[in-house]
Amino acid sequence: MTTTTQVRTAVVARGLTKVYGEGDAAVHALRGVDVGFAAEAFTAIMGPSGSGKSTLMHCLAGLDTVTDGQVTIGDVEITGLNDKQLTLLRRERVGFVFQAFNLLPTLTAEQNIMLPLEIAGRQADQALFDRVIETVGLRDRLGHKPSELSGGQQQRVAVARALISKPQVIFADEPTGNLDSRSGAEVLAFLRRSVRELGQTIVMVTHDPGAASYADRVVFLRDGLLVSEVERPTPQTVLDTLMALEA
Amino acid sequence: MFRITLTGLLAHRLRLVLTSLAIVLGVGFIAGTFVLTDTIDAGFTQSFAADADKVDVVVTPDDDAEPDGNLPESALAAIRAVQGVEDAQPMVSGDAPLIGKDGKVVGNVPTAGVSIPASRIKITSGRAPSAAGEAVLDKNTAKTQGLAPGATVTVLDQAGKRQQFRLVGVFDVGLDQDLAYRGAVAFTPDTARRVTGAKGFTEIDVVSSGPSPESLRTAVAAAAGKAKVVTGRERADEVAKRNHVDTSFLRLGLLLFGAVALLVAALVIYNTFNILVAQRMREMALLRCIGATKRQVFGSIVLESAVVGLLSSVLGLLTGLGLGAAAVAVLRAVGTDIPTGTVSLSPQAIAIGVCTGVVVTMGAALLPARQATRVPPVAALRAQVEEHAFRTGVVRVVVAALFVLTGVGLTAAGVLQKPGQAALLTVMAGGVLVFFSVLILGPVIVRPLSGLAGWVPARLFGVPGRLAVDNSRRNPKRAATTTVALTVGVTLMTFMTVLTSTMRTTVGDQLDQQFPADYILSAQTGTIPRSVADTLRASRDLAAVTEFRGKKAKVNGRDFEVGTVTQSALGTAIKPEAASGTMDGFGAGEVAVADLVAKDLGVKVGDTVTVASGGRRTSLKVVAVLKADVSLLPPFTMAEQTFERHFGRVDDAQVLVNAADGVAPERARKIVDDATAAYPVVKVGSTTEIRGQFDEALDSILMVITGLLALAIVISLLGIANTLSLSVHERTRESALLRALGLTRTQLRGMLSVEALVLGLVGAIVGVVLGIVYGWAATATFTENVSFQLPIGQILLFIAASGLAGVLAALLPARRAARASVVGALAAT
Repeated sequence: MTTTTQVRTAVVARGLTKVYGEGDAAVHALRGVDVGFAAEAFTAIMGPSGSGKSTLMHCLAGLDTVTDGQVTIGDVEITGLNDKQLTLLRRERVGFVFQAFNLLPTLTAEQNIMLPLEIAGRQADQALFDRVIETVGLRDRLGHKPSELSGGQQQRVAVARALISKPQVIFADEPTGNLDSRSGAEVLAFLRRSVRELGQTIVMVTHDPGAASYADRVVFLRDGLLVSEVERPTPQTVLDTLMALEA
Repeated sequence: MFRITLTGLLAHRLRLVLTSLAIVLGVGFIAGTFVLTDTIDAGFTQSFAADADKVDVVVTPDDDAEPDGNLPESALAAIRAVQGVEDAQPMVSGDAPLIGKDGKVVGNVPTAGVSIPASRIKITSGRAPSAAGEAVLDKNTAKTQGLAPGATVTVLDQAGKRQQFRLVGVFDVGLDQDLAYRGAVAFTPDTARRVTGAKGFTEIDVVSSGPSPESLRTAVAAAAGKAKVVTGRERADEVAKRNHVDTSFLRLGLLLFGAVALLVAALVIYNTFNILVAQRMREMALLRCIGATKRQVFGSIVLESAVVGLLSSVLGLLTGLGLGAAAVAVLRAVGTDIPTGTVSLSPQAIAIGVCTGVVVTMGAALLPARQATRVPPVAALRAQVEEHAFRTGVVRVVVAALFVLTGVGLTAAGVLQKPGQAALLTVMAGGVLVFFSVLILGPVIVRPLSGLAGWVPARLFGVPGRLAVDNSRRNPKRAATTTVALTVGVTLMTFMTVLTSTMRTTVGDQLDQQFPADYILSAQTGTIPRSVADTLRASRDLAAVTEFRGKKAKVNGRDFEVGTVTQSALGTAIKPEAASGTMDGFGAGEVAVADLVAKDLGVKVGDTVTVASGGRRTSLKVVAVLKADVSLLPPFTMAEQTFERHFGRVDDAQVLVNAADGVAPERARKIVDDATAAYPVVKVGSTTEIRGQFDEALDSILMVITGLLALAIVISLLGIANTLSLSVHERTRESALLRALGLTRTQLRGMLSVEALVLGLVGAIVGVVLGIVYGWAATATFTENVSFQLPIGQILLFIAASGLAGVLAALLPARRAARASVVGALAAT
């Protein structure tokens, strides 16, 4: 099995190490992770609780600092950047979908979607906007505040927001964690469609084998190390790998 | 439950610090007021007591004697003859106008010429006068006139003749406010009587040779005849009591500002507890789940407020002690003649300080505590506490409408009423009601207002700006309470500014009307010889010289001032405004009457009045009733010839002088000064000087009041800081999301600053509007001819300063928000 293919990689981590605390209290969340994420592909990161999957995502996205190792997004090595540079990088090249509290309660759905572009002072691509809205099926909900939307709709708004700025990579942290299975399936299908149709790169952290099966590839983490991966996963192959890991 | 409350308090101690600070400042101000006034009181009592120890019995004129009725000279000999009297010293008091360096009499009122018993006079340098040619001068006058022992002083005696004395010492007038104001020259008793022409004595101090003061008092009283005789101790108590009334006024005034500060503090506390309760919704619900009753939850919040109130009140007392001591130190440093005792906290100050502090804190926490009891136990299980959208309730609108209607009605009634105190009180009552309606309607009006205040920032600061404006009205109730606290201070400041600037303009206009002159000549005592006006008229550099003369006379049987004015000045230099009738063609046998007097006597145009004095009677026809408040003329004005025929040749009381066009002020002034040089009692004033003095007085009043109100503003800023830091805490995840989406730290800080700016501006806008309206309404109740003046510059400054202050208040919360790590904040629930 090969870790990288001939396709372009959007995000690469080399020897990624993250240690919280010092001395006896030190927790090694990541112990030297080498991983690449293909561009225009949907990759899932899986692992049991405490495996370091969220930490990996935070480090890859430049939200958290690394103890050692390198992270490259596109052609930029982000591990040497200061907070301001990281912020600008996030603005330009990274999109996020979180498990909850994704939206600003004071803004309408449309305003929430446009927020990253406005923060960056960029104009929206009207064609892209229309396409995104069409794909997410939110046309008639654009003027609503988050409190007037269902959980599934809120997550779709969050995905639309991540897509609208055409980032080099979207990081999704348990995007369906708070949703019922139907809404979850909708959001996941939508994520996959945005990879296929819009050529988006998506890295998703999840602990749900069903959700992971929507991805093109699943990488498995245990105790801060990359231990396995599955190409073109099905719920069953993911579940089997997980079982094998926990055995 | 008590332990839970305490641990809760400790857990939120940082948040409660700001709340406590509000109470600490409020209570501190009140306690400080008591410390200051108590210290002054004690100082007075001490120094009176010290004075009293030197004298055993004090004899003063009877209380119901005439105002200038003195003790007869015979009383002194009679008292000296009483057995047991070691010594009896008289006190003499009269006028002895001191001639200053400029050759004119000093001050606006004649310097006092006195004799003070050797036992009482406080000589600070040199010695007391002991011979006829010696005098001592009070400390302040000696300083301002640059006179020291050894110098020669000149005073005018009762006949207006110059008398020279050798200055042998300088003395301290102590607590005698009259002498402190007028300045005083002290002589030996005989000299004092000779110079001032005073008959009798104002006081006789008796020292006992052995008998107790009480028994000596009885003996002296028998000898003194009709007089008030008390022991030295009684006298000291009496003066101290009178003085206590003075400090009571000071105390009351300061306490009023303290009350304003506490009101603002109450708003801040109310808000803080509301937010604390909202934040601890889960905690409360959990308590309810595990079996706490509503009562217990309510009790725990109230208990918490009691502990906070008590702790901060105690701290406030200490602050007050410091403030009071500082104020006393300042008083001593600037050298005021206010005696001060030892600085201490009286039991009364402690009781009042702690009680108000605790009551205000607990009172402000009651509503939030009730809110806490409404949290259902199931809330503990909900993942997220949803924000409560504010809906305008019918009750709120109805109550507010009632307040507004009554308030506006009262205000309008006050404004339309005849100017006076009743009108002012009506307006103020209306103001209080309208303020309450603003308080009630706050949540409703804060949304549109923050949109208004945020219009510019939202456009100026891009996304963070717009988000900030949205945030500022996200919780209208909280925003309203926060801003209203600031509104209180801004309203009062604007009110005062509008009031003073209107007063300034109004008085300026009145000065222009009443003194249509460049210079005013007046005599400190007596009159101005007519030769002065004649000399001035001869000068070609002066355009108009207007003489005023007056005499007391009986008009229709009652005592009034009757006067006249240079005939040619009528209609030119002097333009009296008539309520009815006219002074055009004013001539012999006619009289113009001031409106108030005309009403009093029931006379109107066409009536005849009779002027009687010195056995002469003159009948005059009323041709005009004049508006008194814009008139310089006496109650009754006769034509010059008629006046002279009745009263004979009377010297001028006042002379107004106008310089001719194109004459330099220095030149005109010199002519006027030269003409009056020979008459030391004739003082020359210019309208610019009068206006300058008035302006200065207004400025210093405004400054003191602004300083006192600043406290309320500071407390309200604590409120803004508090609200913001709580909001920051609540929105930790939102901030993290924004940071993840690419908002820089600077932008996040900027966002919070803009939010604070908007809150500050909203508070300021409401305050400025209320202040202007009520400033206008209040001035309308003063007099009828008000020249309303809007100090736009100052008001804009208030608004800008409020915004800036808001931004300052946001500094720390914004810093904290920006420093939070994105990952940590995202993880927090």
